Amino acid sequence: MSRVLSNLKSHFANWRQWEVNPIVVKELRQAVRSWAVTGTLLLFLLVLFCSAVMFFVTQSFGVSTNQRMGAVIFSTFSVILTGASLLFIPLYVGVRVAAERQESDLDLLYISTLTPQRIIRGKFFCGAYVAILFFSACMPFMTFTNLLRGVDLPSIFFVLLCLFLAVCCAVQVAIFLACLPISRLLKIFVGLIAGVNCFWMTGMLTLWTSEMMRRGVGSMMSDRAFWAAFLTVCGLVFAATLLLHFLSVALISPPSANRALPVRIYMTAAWVVGAAISFLWAKNQNDARLVLPWAIASFVLFGISLVVVVSNQDKLSLRVQRAVPERLSIRAVAFLFYNGAAGGLVWLASLAAITYFVTWGVLTLGIFSSTLDPDEMSIFLTASAASVIYGFAYALTGLVLHRRFFAKRSPKLAGIFAVIVPAVWSLVPVMFFFFMNRLSTRDLEHTQLGNLFNIYVVNDNSQRTAHLLFATGWLAVMLALNFTWFARQLKNFQPLRRAKSPPPAAVEAPPIMPAAVN
Amino acid sequence: MKVQVQQLRKEFGKTVAVDNISFGFDSGHIFGFVGPNGAGKTTTMRIIATIEEPTDGDVLLNGISVREEPELARKLVGYVPDTLPSHADITVHEYLDFYARAYGLRGRKRDEAVGAIEEFTNVTGIRNKHIKALSKGMKQRVSLGRALVYDPDVLILDEPAAGLDPRARVELRELLTLLAERKKAILISSHILTELTEICNGVVIIERGKILETGTIDEVLKKSAPRRTVSVRLLDPQRLPLLLKELLQTPFVENARQANSEVIFESSGDESAACEILAQLIAKQFKITEFRQAKADLEDIFMTVTKGGVQ
Repeated sequence: MSRVLSNLKSHFANWRQWEVNPIVVKELRQAVRSWAVTGTLLLFLLVLFCSAVMFFVTQSFGVSTNQRMGAVIFSTFSVILTGASLLFIPLYVGVRVAAERQESDLDLLYISTLTPQRIIRGKFFCGAYVAILFFSACMPFMTFTNLLRGVDLPSIFFVLLCLFLAVCCAVQVAIFLACLPISRLLKIFVGLIAGVNCFWMTGMLTLWTSEMMRRGVGSMMSDRAFWAAFLTVCGLVFAATLLLHFLSVALISPPSANRALPVRIYMTAAWVVGAAISFLWAKNQNDARLVLPWAIASFVLFGISLVVVVSNQDKLSLRVQRAVPERLSIRAVAFLFYNGAAGGLVWLASLAAITYFVTWGVLTLGIFSSTLDPDEMSIFLTASAASVIYGFAYALTGLVLHRRFFAKRSPKLAGIFAVIVPAVWSLVPVMFFFFMNRLSTRDLEHTQLGNLFNIYVVNDNSQRTAHLLFATGWLAVMLALNFTWFARQLKNFQPLRRAKSPPPAAVEAPPIMPAAVN
Repeated sequence: MKVQVQQLRKEFGKTVAVDNISFGFDSGHIFGFVGPNGAGKTTTMRIIATIEEPTDGDVLLNGISVREEPELARKLVGYVPDTLPSHADITVHEYLDFYARAYGLRGRKRDEAVGAIEEFTNVTGIRNKHIKALSKGMKQRVSLGRALVYDPDVLILDEPAAGLDPRARVELRELLTLLAERKKAILISSHILTELTEICNGVVIIERGKILETGTIDEVLKKSAPRRTVSVRLLDPQRLPLLLKELLQTPFVENARQANSEVIFESSGDESAACEILAQLIAKQFKITEFRQAKADLEDIFMTVTKGGVQ
């Protein structure tokens, strides 16, 4: 801790020697030379100019005839800006990262002394700077709309700020997708899906912009609820963006690095902050139900994390082993946060258990005056417990299948099995009913033990209880099957101790004779 | 700077690309790394350059392990891969400047380092050209410049001469010799073995991930080609049968035969044995116009010790 503080102190003391991230310098140099960027920017300006001219030609400028001229033009400009920046900038940054991350021709910047954090940060800031370039180009057109009535300056700046934040978030999503360790074809497929989502997001933002223009941001600024909603959305988007940032860093870090550590620390911190905000919100509104979004979001995130965690390598690299603490108490904590499936499972199980019991406590102990009614509470508590236990059962089943049948293959297979098992388990009965021509809503409402999704379809809470019992039994069997493996992982989590062996002597070669070259 | 490769092993699934190899080399040495395609050369070099991680074993650069401290080791190694830089929309100067920044060079020091490297690799004239527009030889120079810009002690060059024209190859050899004089430890792989014989101090011959021969060039030559082929020409070709008869009675001489206007034999002795044979022939009044030892080069040794097997 003191080392971190002293490093920070010396970093800030030497502020005169600070330099711009090399990746930002390189990327911006490439961007200003790139036909893609300059061409799109010119096209963007041309479209803005043409739209402005079209308005001037077709619209009447009499104050009495059109009071909302400015708002209409601003909305049009914001559609153009959103479309151009939300579709082009993430695509440009994502394609560049993906090209540099090609498996066949790995760019050497990934093996320079630049840390993965600096690389991802540099790519992100490059996207943000290009966005600023686009926004700056658009700004004169947009501020001009203020002169045309119907739009106030706070609305203009607020909308631009929100659009800019949306573009930054999209850039981080693009970087994350580009870093995924998948084939080029799959990346293109994922990129297409992301592109479609960008179109959808552009539409949503356009509607939202029109609504803001109609209502006028200036008039809402004194409302506390407006800021609460705005800050909540910003907080959630910021948390998601930061999570993607940490995941991208982990993806480009070498497999021998302690990739899990920053991600797990961040997720734990975000989970704690989320819990605190939810609790304060519930306290403020005196409504226990306000902790549910946090609990449900946490469970969903833990479910996704389970797949990633079981895909971890069992064997710790030398780099990680060197960082394993000597002291038992610190080592116990490190076990949860360092690479490795066993530690990751314990970490997730601890967070899931705490989330469940905290939610249970807040809902049932009568701390707040409003809470769920008893039936709803029973459904929520049974369904969430069964879902969490099923999740762990699937994950442990994936581990068992990988170890038993594909021990020499990549550990990613365990994660794939953890997804395939519930998918097959839930699809096979549906397909059976379909081919027997018996597929109906009533059939789906029958208890299908082992099918996680069935919990949310069944009507009777006794069916959910049956699911809970079955999931617990399944988990118990899987725990028994994984016990030896887990004990071995725990035992192997030791600091590096090695026997020194004498290195082989360098080959003695005669001094070089320059004459030999000629 | 001492580079020690210790029982290095790298597996890709069931394929063992590098199988427990150990060797070492020092500052000021150019070490050749020779083997057929798929022998494990590039994998070994990528491990030394901290791009790949070994399955087992280690590489120590002055005691710094590439497995345990790759970030530290990375600062000591300059790596020239077998692929050339192909970055779009960036000039030679900007490319070198980026790597200088990436390796922590700041301000004037960075400008000086980049300028010096541009001069050293002779790319000053093309510093404002786009990398994509360069010829292969020029890209190779830029690649070498990138590896040298932060002045690493170890230089790993993977097939640097591939695709270069004869002039560019000669210039590359001169650059490498200069670098060795500047106390860099250089490991170079090449398929142009005659060039390696000329500039390398030591050599490692590898096949199917295993070391077949290692040592100084002379040691390897001695070990792998113990016999020297000698051809003798006389002023009077009529006396060749007599010479053949004489040679057949001489110690260390084997497989003597007459071919066209010369006699060829194999000498199992060392240099002094060859001198004695020559002195003996002169003493017996043979008027010798040519006494030539066909010394085995790296190419002969490579062909002898390798079987051309790939994995």
